[in-house]
Amino acid sequence: MSFSFTKANLERIEVLKNRYPSTQALSLPCLWMAQYQEGYITLDAIDVISETIDVPAMEIYRVATFYTMFHLEATQKKRVLVCKTLSCKLCGSEGILEHLKGHDVLVEHVECLGSCGTAPVMQIDDVNYENLTPEKVDTILEALR
Amino acid sequence: MMVQVIVDGKNYEAEEGSLLIDLLIKEQIKVPYFCYHEALGADGNCRMCMVEIAGQKRPQIACDTLVKPDMEVSSKSEKIEKVHTDILELELINHPVDCPTCDQAGECSLQDFYMDYGLHESKVRIEEKVKHDKHVDLGANVMLDQERCVLCARCTRFTDKITHTHELGIIGRGDEAKVSTMPGRKLHNPYAMNLVDICPVGALTSKDFRFKQRVWFLETANSVCHGCAKGCNIYIDHHKIKYEDDMIYRFRPRRNDAVNGFFICDAGRLSYKLLQNNRQTMIRHKDEIISEEKSIALYQSLLKQYKNSITVVIDANLYNEEIEALVDYAQRIGAEVCAPLECYDDTEFADTMLKSAKRAANYEKVVKMGLDRTMPKTSGLIINFNHTETFYAEMQIDFSTHQRPNASFILPIAAYSEQSGSLTNEDGLVQMCEKAVHKNSPSPTLREWLQKVGL
Repeated sequence: MSFSFTKANLERIEVLKNRYPSTQALSLPCLWMAQYQEGYITLDAIDVISETIDVPAMEIYRVATFYTMFHLEATQKKRVLVCKTLSCKLCGSEGILEHLKGHDVLVEHVECLGSCGTAPVMQIDDVNYENLTPEKVDTILEALR
Repeated sequence: MMVQVIVDGKNYEAEEGSLLIDLLIKEQIKVPYFCYHEALGADGNCRMCMVEIAGQKRPQIACDTLVKPDMEVSSKSEKIEKVHTDILELELINHPVDCPTCDQAGECSLQDFYMDYGLHESKVRIEEKVKHDKHVDLGANVMLDQERCVLCARCTRFTDKITHTHELGIIGRGDEAKVSTMPGRKLHNPYAMNLVDICPVGALTSKDFRFKQRVWFLETANSVCHGCAKGCNIYIDHHKIKYEDDMIYRFRPRRNDAVNGFFICDAGRLSYKLLQNNRQTMIRHKDEIISEEKSIALYQSLLKQYKNSITVVIDANLYNEEIEALVDYAQRIGAEVCAPLECYDDTEFADTMLKSAKRAANYEKVVKMGLDRTMPKTSGLIINFNHTETFYAEMQIDFSTHQRPNASFILPIAAYSEQSGSLTNEDGLVQMCEKAVHKNSPSPTLREWLQKVGL
């Protein structure tokens, strides 16, 4: 296996093991750690998590596919997450999606980003960009280039 | 403690704290369900088994409701019918309705419930339905059609709870959710084909059986698997196409809580092929096909010639009645009897679930009767009753279900599927097998041969 947790992450896992009644509860924290370490979650990482917390690999894979914030594929492009839930749809996320087609970015259509009051919303590298308009999207992406 | 429960106005007795659905199934009270399975327990995800319970505001699922004293349940009412119809409509939203090409048609829960509660046109046009993969090879002879799936999770619970191999899971969410293995990985357990029986719809089908025969043409006989000494109960599904011979299409597990529960191993399931391939059908002496009269005369003369140095060899796959008849027959002609067992021991085959290391169906009967289990001596005449071993005897007569290229005098006999009889399994349980297959030109059974040769 080519993936292994960093020493700091392994220590964090040991601390977390004492916090929860079962190791299954560590599935999400471990997936986050793997994703921050590599940028995305590899199958190797899933196998390592499975071994580390003694939960079947399929269970970890299932969880990773369920949540849209986990990425299972690598990309060289900027990952832009566009919210697909109700408020954003009503406030024009379709237009934002259409507009993003003109940019060289990887667009992912994700579940609620938790900022309904400022819809439509997109997220890049853990930062939410709110009250989007096509012009605003251009400015933001230009600034991040 | 047993308590009284009222279902649809009738009184029933049930264990307090047991699942309500178990009572409904046991009493054959019609209740639709996909996800519940007696071997896998309640999961409560399909929501089909709704019933009304007096004192509760909303309908409840019977598979997750525990029996309480004096519970009043109603399984049939206009309201419940409406609930069933509405839930079924949701299950069918993305279903491709490809019953004409689906192997499950005829034994499909979805189809049955549609006839009971549906009978409406889908509000979603076929072009608008969510498309998934229709031919996913999961490995181990199991094919997945993700569009037909109702996501009841029986299959994933089977790999989690029964085989503990965890190959299957439901991935994704919403209408993108589907059953899958991990990328690049396959099913890898020797019980995987049970998934085909467990799946209530046509999502999981057997690569071995699919597109071979419509299930409503199949005739079914109760039998017992001959793969090992465990004696798993099976159904033999067979059919005779016009102008052709009666053929076995598949084995399916038959529930028996004392032996195999709901399942059989894949090796046993596929062993039906052995019953049809390389069968001996003619009486052959050296390189010549001979008539029955001629063979009986030859048989008698050989008996006379080798008087006092005859050994009868018995195969441990024969029925109880056959073994007893053969021992009796050997006594009358003054022959020694042996039933070598060593070649049936296969520890690599065995596991802790259903597979036994004793790979002969009637191993226990041979042991119980105290027969000589060593190899026969090679001098004199050996009359071999279907034992698979080669004996290198001075002279040998073979009564055989299957071809033996090196045999000098071979007489065909009927296989176990072509006659009835009983078997003693490794736990000493005696179980009956029905006659399933009716061949166009059947080979005589062993007992018929014994009558023909005069005893």
